[in-house]
Amino acid sequence: MAAAFRAMLQRDLLLAWRRRGDALLPVLYAVMVATLFPFALGPEHTLLARISGGVVLVTVLLSMLLSLDAVFRGDLEDGALEYLVLAPQPLALLVAARMLAYWLVTALPLIAVAPLLAYMLGLEGPAQPVLLLALLLATPLLALIGSVLTALTVGTRRSGMLLALMLLPLAVPIVIFAAGAVGAAQQGLPWVAPVAWLAAALALAVVLAPLACATALRIALDS
Amino acid sequence: MMNASPDSQPTPIDVRGLVYERRDERVFGPLDFTVEARTIALVEGDNGSGKTTLLRVIAGLLRASAGEARVFGSAPGSDEARAGTASLGHLLGLKGDLTPRENLHLGMGLYGCKPGEDPDAMLCRVGLEGFGDEPVRTLSAGQKKRTALARLALLPARLWLLDEPYANLDRHGIALVNDLLAVHAAAGGAALVTSHGAVSFHQGVACTIRLTP
Repeated sequence: MAAAFRAMLQRDLLLAWRRRGDALLPVLYAVMVATLFPFALGPEHTLLARISGGVVLVTVLLSMLLSLDAVFRGDLEDGALEYLVLAPQPLALLVAARMLAYWLVTALPLIAVAPLLAYMLGLEGPAQPVLLLALLLATPLLALIGSVLTALTVGTRRSGMLLALMLLPLAVPIVIFAAGAVGAAQQGLPWVAPVAWLAAALALAVVLAPLACATALRIALDS
Repeated sequence: MMNASPDSQPTPIDVRGLVYERRDERVFGPLDFTVEARTIALVEGDNGSGKTTLLRVIAGLLRASAGEARVFGSAPGSDEARAGTASLGHLLGLKGDLTPRENLHLGMGLYGCKPGEDPDAMLCRVGLEGFGDEPVRTLSAGQKKRTALARLALLPARLWLLDEPYANLDRHGIALVNDLLAVHAAAGGAALVTSHGAVSFHQGVACTIRLTP
């Protein structure tokens, strides 16, 4: 079972490496969106600093949404998905490897560039590490929930827009807790509680999302 | 992985009154047949007669509307059934950005490997010597098929479900499929093979399942 997980993870990382230019696109998108805010709102430092945490979080969320559509699309089109479903391994385990690879390839570069974007908008001091922590918990949560929704829509045409409409309402609590933690840290208030909520939700999603995703994929193929 | 001798295993495929309906329209059935070990069964029928659907039901991807199918004594798609089964469909499931060798290693990572088999030797056997390190997307349709056949022959599965394995292959490729099937059957394996009847099959066929629309 561990060998299958490793084979799957290795496959996805190798595929991402062969198309490493694609991993750069969400990062460039995030940089551009974050750059638009000062142009739209004016260079007033206090205003930008106040909204910086929220802007970065929403930017990262939207960037992840760009590539979420492709999580199972390639495997569906070349038939690899059927071979994964038919493999004598727990499908949830293989799906978990797929999700981990997606997070590593898509979210990690965004997390790496996020402090820079936040700094550009004027986020300073102790709120910086809190933003990083909030992103480290919020992005895998988004990846897990997003993968389940992707699995549900994998058979439908033009699933990208549908996916956005389904994911964004579910992302609201994640954004509220993550931005709440950053906002509290900016004002010097305790920020542990919202971060703990994110961590709790992530713990739940790590266990449940692969199972839900595996079931959704089986349903998608049964037609 | 189960390693008991083939003869002590339950029947690879046992089908009783199997019916599949799509939106209340019957695709095939009712079907009754068994495929024993050391047997290659050929599913014949015209386009649209339900050959692929039958294979997908037996693989466990689709749920039968009525009747019962048993794969190694278990329900299709169950852990026991999947542990002994390998499929090859219209879509080969090869990753275009990976090389044939990487695709074979991936298949072995997911399905396990038959003892004593080596991916490089298998690539030579299917006629892909020298193509092991080219990306699969640059190969021809026939070469992709050969890569998928090499992967199939490496897996420890005792039941093969092959959907149109002769498509895209040249004369040597067709002989290769027949050869792989013969070796598989001689080693105690079973196979369910679909064909629309255009290709003459080798002499080892034990039974034919005819689907009529």
